[in-house]
Amino acid sequence: MLKNYFKIAIAVLRRRKFFTFISLFGISFTLTILLVLTSFIEKIVGDSYPDRKRDRSLYISKFQSKEKDGNSSSALSYYYLSHYVGGLKTPVKLGISSGYNGTNTYVNNKKLAVNYKYTNADYWDIMEYDFIEGKALTKQQVDNADKVAVISEDMKRDYFGDVPSVVGKYIEADNVKYKVTGVVKNVPITSYMIYSDIYLPFTVSKTDFRKGKGYQGDFYGIMLANSTADLSKMCAEYDAMVQRLPKENKNVVKMYSHADSYIVSYVNTGNEDKSGVTIVLTAIGIFVLLVTLLPSLNLVNINITRIMERSSEIGVRKAFGASSKTLVYQFIVENIILTLLGGLIGVVLSFVAIQVLNGFNLIPNLILSVNFTVLAIGLLICFLFGLLSGVYPAWRMSKLNVVTALKAQ
Amino acid sequence: MLKHLFKLIWNKKKQNFLLMSEMLFSFLVLFAVFTLLVYYYNNYKKPMGFEYKNLWVVSYNNTFKSKSTDSVNRYYETLRSTIKAMPEIRELSFCSNNVPFSNSMWTSLVTYNKKQTSPVNWYTSDDGYKEALNAKVLEGRWFNKADAIGKYEHVVINNELKEKIFGSETAIGKVLGNADDKQRMQIIGVIQGVKVKGDYAPSGYALYHRADTGAFRWFGKIMVKVAPNTGAAFEARLYKTLANYMKDSNVEIEHMVNKRTNINYFTLVPMIVLTIVGSFLIINVALGLFGVLWYNINRRRGEIGLRRAVGATGGSVSSQLITESMILATISLIVGTFFAVQFPILNVFDLSAGIYLMAILLAVIFIYALVFVCSLYPGRQAAAIYPAVALHEE
Repeated sequence: MLKNYFKIAIAVLRRRKFFTFISLFGISFTLTILLVLTSFIEKIVGDSYPDRKRDRSLYISKFQSKEKDGNSSSALSYYYLSHYVGGLKTPVKLGISSGYNGTNTYVNNKKLAVNYKYTNADYWDIMEYDFIEGKALTKQQVDNADKVAVISEDMKRDYFGDVPSVVGKYIEADNVKYKVTGVVKNVPITSYMIYSDIYLPFTVSKTDFRKGKGYQGDFYGIMLANSTADLSKMCAEYDAMVQRLPKENKNVVKMYSHADSYIVSYVNTGNEDKSGVTIVLTAIGIFVLLVTLLPSLNLVNINITRIMERSSEIGVRKAFGASSKTLVYQFIVENIILTLLGGLIGVVLSFVAIQVLNGFNLIPNLILSVNFTVLAIGLLICFLFGLLSGVYPAWRMSKLNVVTALKAQ
Repeated sequence: MLKHLFKLIWNKKKQNFLLMSEMLFSFLVLFAVFTLLVYYYNNYKKPMGFEYKNLWVVSYNNTFKSKSTDSVNRYYETLRSTIKAMPEIRELSFCSNNVPFSNSMWTSLVTYNKKQTSPVNWYTSDDGYKEALNAKVLEGRWFNKADAIGKYEHVVINNELKEKIFGSETAIGKVLGNADDKQRMQIIGVIQGVKVKGDYAPSGYALYHRADTGAFRWFGKIMVKVAPNTGAAFEARLYKTLANYMKDSNVEIEHMVNKRTNINYFTLVPMIVLTIVGSFLIINVALGLFGVLWYNINRRRGEIGLRRAVGATGGSVSSQLITESMILATISLIVGTFFAVQFPILNVFDLSAGIYLMAILLAVIFIYALVFVCSLYPGRQAAAIYPAVALHEE
């Protein structure tokens, strides 16, 4: 039966080529937009290089303190992370790293803008950077405040040029010479908690982070649990710790900080009243709705037009005893075949669009790709599209009166 | 005639309902895109308010620690004269962190005659700031050494804030208060708004304070204006000088030209994406409209043939069909405009009503043009129908 439907669908498609073109154009283009969006989101939140242990890590990115006359919210201080978060029982490791900050270095009268980042030793145990050469910062180097650095591939190329090995050489940044101990694969800037050109031990900083008793600063924390089962326990322990925090001064009314999964902490606004997750989901939802609504309406319009053209066929089938249900089913299947065909074209177009986007290199090192997840989502969207745009016209059709349908000839 | 056309449309309301909803949604999408474009264009038209070419910004942290304010001031004044002595340097100014094209903001309220205005950007800078930025003074003057003493603190505001509070009156000599009306500030000058968030964003309200004696304790930026065509060699020298002098600070030099490119990027990318998506949606809708209208006309061959047989000209037939689609468009536009007008009425997103109205107007014109173009060809086709052939088919 399905084979027959398929044959009929193809025959109908070839009947009015202009309408077929309109339908396919609408479907494939909408799908392209959605697939590029999905692949972008997938890349930003789903790509787990270099923090491959995401499933058993919790991220701490913001600390908000509500005061009598306002609000202050920022990343955390080293003191807070090492002293309070370091005292928790559940985490086996606590990676501490600063946000990236800019400085300059000058090589043969050429200026390089460099982003540097301070880390502790645990950070390198949690992260699984791909080392092109050399190795990570060790605990001993951090404790001794050795002037050593791990640099990114791009940094190596820009600073040293095309040389095979740079481990042991010196790189000058911010007027200080650091010895290179390792070179890692690039991380795109969109992973703002992890990205940097140069990674340094936090002990070499010109600021001594171990002084100062404030809670807010420029650091992010990553807590690693023994297993995924411990996550909820770790989260609860963290929340309890925040509840017990002594107030920094008299003006503080309440303090908020959460240990979240990567995605939640990624979109954390740092304001308890504005959930970042909600904002992002709403924005994406509205966008998707707009992009799909118009082509859907268009498809419904075109489909109704095409069905009415086939009224004689419908009349004959009904006269010979086909039930409305069968006809509706047939039409929806036909429509799904059409949308899947459009979907195929859409996937091809997405490949092209993503290649073009990668060619532009809008965000360095953010290489978009169409992977299985993206394709599966695309297929699902197509299927829904087919159902949505097929149901109403099919229902209209099934209500056709046999006599009028036949008379239309 | 119109009444008759309405009747025709009413008789086919079910078919037309979908067409109209499609037009309605296209109108809303266009309205959104045009609002954004008009807003950006309006901002783009305004002057920049300062010169970003040959302007660098130096960032440093960990300011010099000392109990005595005098020694802090001496420390930075020495640095100032050291840099100023370099031949490539035209002017420099220490200032607060919220320099143009940065992400740093510092907003507060100002009060005048018990009326509060917000959000006002508070900037703090020293006397060289205007020269460094080459800002344009519209009224009064910029700070100088004489402003250190006086009954009130002297401030400079930008033109946007002056328009907002004083309208067409002069602002010079007037006294503003801060949020709780305690700190009194006398205006000595009005400058043209500086577009600190890039070409496509408004400059907002701004108020400039003169750096007081303790300001060096929390400053973290130096605006440096250099001679044209100053290269990386000098920059490296300047960098060494700064870094060797401020041993405990991390120093960074950025060029305003690059910072402008980066900040414009954040407005341009969404704009380009939305325009691309919007235009493809519109192409999609146009094709759909065209197809449906064309099909409808083909189904009405009998009716058209009859009209031609009774003596209607080809022109009147095609104008009837075009008018019909225009009426459909009008009905959806009335509904759409009703929704769109809510934006200026409820003052959503804090944009001026003029922007919304302009966007509505553009979207209306666009939809009319679209529907007209899409019904032109089917209308022409209908006009070419021979009555004999059409009537024979029935």
